[in-house]
Amino acid sequence: MRLVSIETRSFRNLEDRPVDTDAERVFLVGENGQGKSNFLDAAYTLCFGASFRSALDGEAARKGQKAWGLGAYVDDGCAVQRSIRVLWEEGAKRILEDGKRVADRKELVARNPAVVFCHEDFTFASGEPERRRFFFDQTASLASADYVDRLRSYRRALRMRNASLREGRVDVVEVLDEQVAEHGLALTKARAGLAARFDPVFAERFESVSRIGTRVGLEYRPSWPVELGIRDIVERLRSKRREELTMATTLSGPHRDRFRFAQEGAGDFSDSASTGQLRLLALTLRVAQAVFASEETGRPPILLLDDVLLELDPEKRRRFMEALPSTPQAFFTFLPGEQWEAYRTASTLVYWTDDGRFARKEG
Amino acid sequence: MKAIEELVGLLSRLPGIGKKSAARIAFHLLRVDGSYAAALAERIEGIQARVRLCSVCGAYAEDDTCEACSDPRRDRSTVCVVEQPQDVLTLEASREWRGLYHVLGGLISPLDGVGPERLRIGTLVARVRNEGVREVVLATNPTVEGDTTALYVKKALEGTGANVSRLATGIPVGGDLEYADRLTIARSFRHRTIL
Ligand SMILES: [Zn+2]
Repeated sequence: MRLVSIETRSFRNLEDRPVDTDAERVFLVGENGQGKSNFLDAAYTLCFGASFRSALDGEAARKGQKAWGLGAYVDDGCAVQRSIRVLWEEGAKRILEDGKRVADRKELVARNPAVVFCHEDFTFASGEPERRRFFFDQTASLASADYVDRLRSYRRALRMRNASLREGRVDVVEVLDEQVAEHGLALTKARAGLAARFDPVFAERFESVSRIGTRVGLEYRPSWPVELGIRDIVERLRSKRREELTMATTLSGPHRDRFRFAQEGAGDFSDSASTGQLRLLALTLRVAQAVFASEETGRPPILLLDDVLLELDPEKRRRFMEALPSTPQAFFTFLPGEQWEAYRTASTLVYWTDDGRFARKEG
Repeated sequence: MKAIEELVGLLSRLPGIGKKSAARIAFHLLRVDGSYAAALAERIEGIQARVRLCSVCGAYAEDDTCEACSDPRRDRSTVCVVEQPQDVLTLEASREWRGLYHVLGGLISPLDGVGPERLRIGTLVARVRNEGVREVVLATNPTVEGDTTALYVKKALEGTGANVSRLATGIPVGGDLEYADRLTIARSFRHRTIL
């Protein structure tokens, strides 16, 4: 798929005007703070139904505005283009595809896959286990709507169980043991399968970009062993009843899962890697996410690259660009000094970005 | 104008009615036959007094007991357990169930502070014990709350000797059944799972 034009209304600092994006690559060139990332966020929000820059929908409204809107036409290679609109007003968000209300965001995501590369990705390589779970949950969600359902059910059952533990309602906790075990175990199995399929995709690309020389792969370390059954898990939970009632929280389960980047013969790569290597690891995770989503669904995602090349030396930049999967569309942001001309293809649109306005650069 | 504004204000508090629809209804009421408006007003006024909850099963009823509970042709050894009184109307419209009902009045929802004691689970167990119920079909929706409630009820019924099964899918929302909904319910009743 490709976004052929994007129109914004009261969205961050962007001018209310349609922007032609009908090209394989769209370059947004400009100084910081002019609206390049905001434009990528508009594209992302149209595909994902939510921003990658802020957790609260209302924050995207331009100063003094109580509503915002986004619209895009989408080309799937069919005779007729589709339309997507995301509208936020009176504190509520509405998503419309061809004028019809989208009830669940997962439907939008399945039809309009997008992968964003941004600074915050660094924490996937360096940071908390929670950030890695977030990344792999997102990867799985791009590939399977069932995974989204499972994750939601598990989270809900877990929150219900924790609330019941707080209240000391053992009779309800007992019933929720089974719910948490059922959804949690299904999630564990899904994550194990995901990790096994993701590992080769990632390892191959990381080596080709980093040239470290030893394999760095993905290891899944589930809180509950994959081979256990629901009965085993229920038993486990029961055996920790007193402790969990005291702590008022569920102490084991997929919410405690770990993902590790293991270097052959050297253990946890994140412990020994340099900042540069971690940065490259984070970028490669996004590349692998795009390749993985594409392989699993047959729908290559739109790529949104927010200032990521800047951090790499010219050689790594070249290898990174080579590792990027070919997709029908990619958006890049650049500072004016960058060598963006080098990444042009036959189908590239270049815009100068200044104070929320986009001026087409010909030639 | 005050009279119109007040009516629009009240109408827009109805579920699914926004300010625009409320205004459209208000202008419509200004033009319709006076007897229709009077009948509508009377029905709205009387609905809460005329409709109560069945003293046995908790479904909507115009007498002490609901139509199902007072129908001698119904199979009294089977009970279908639902979340809300309106679910009974939905299942009745499908004409698929010939037994009795039991309305829980909600689902177990620890996040909203709703524990099992707020639901009519005790009265269900008593009915099953005292009235010779041999089969209980749980028709809560397949959400985490619905599953949790079904499991809890099943545990509460242990030792009563009744068979407990679960509808494969939930009950469509709203009493007005589409043909497809009717088929779904029929299939759901045939493929219920033993819990
Ligand atoms: Zn009744």
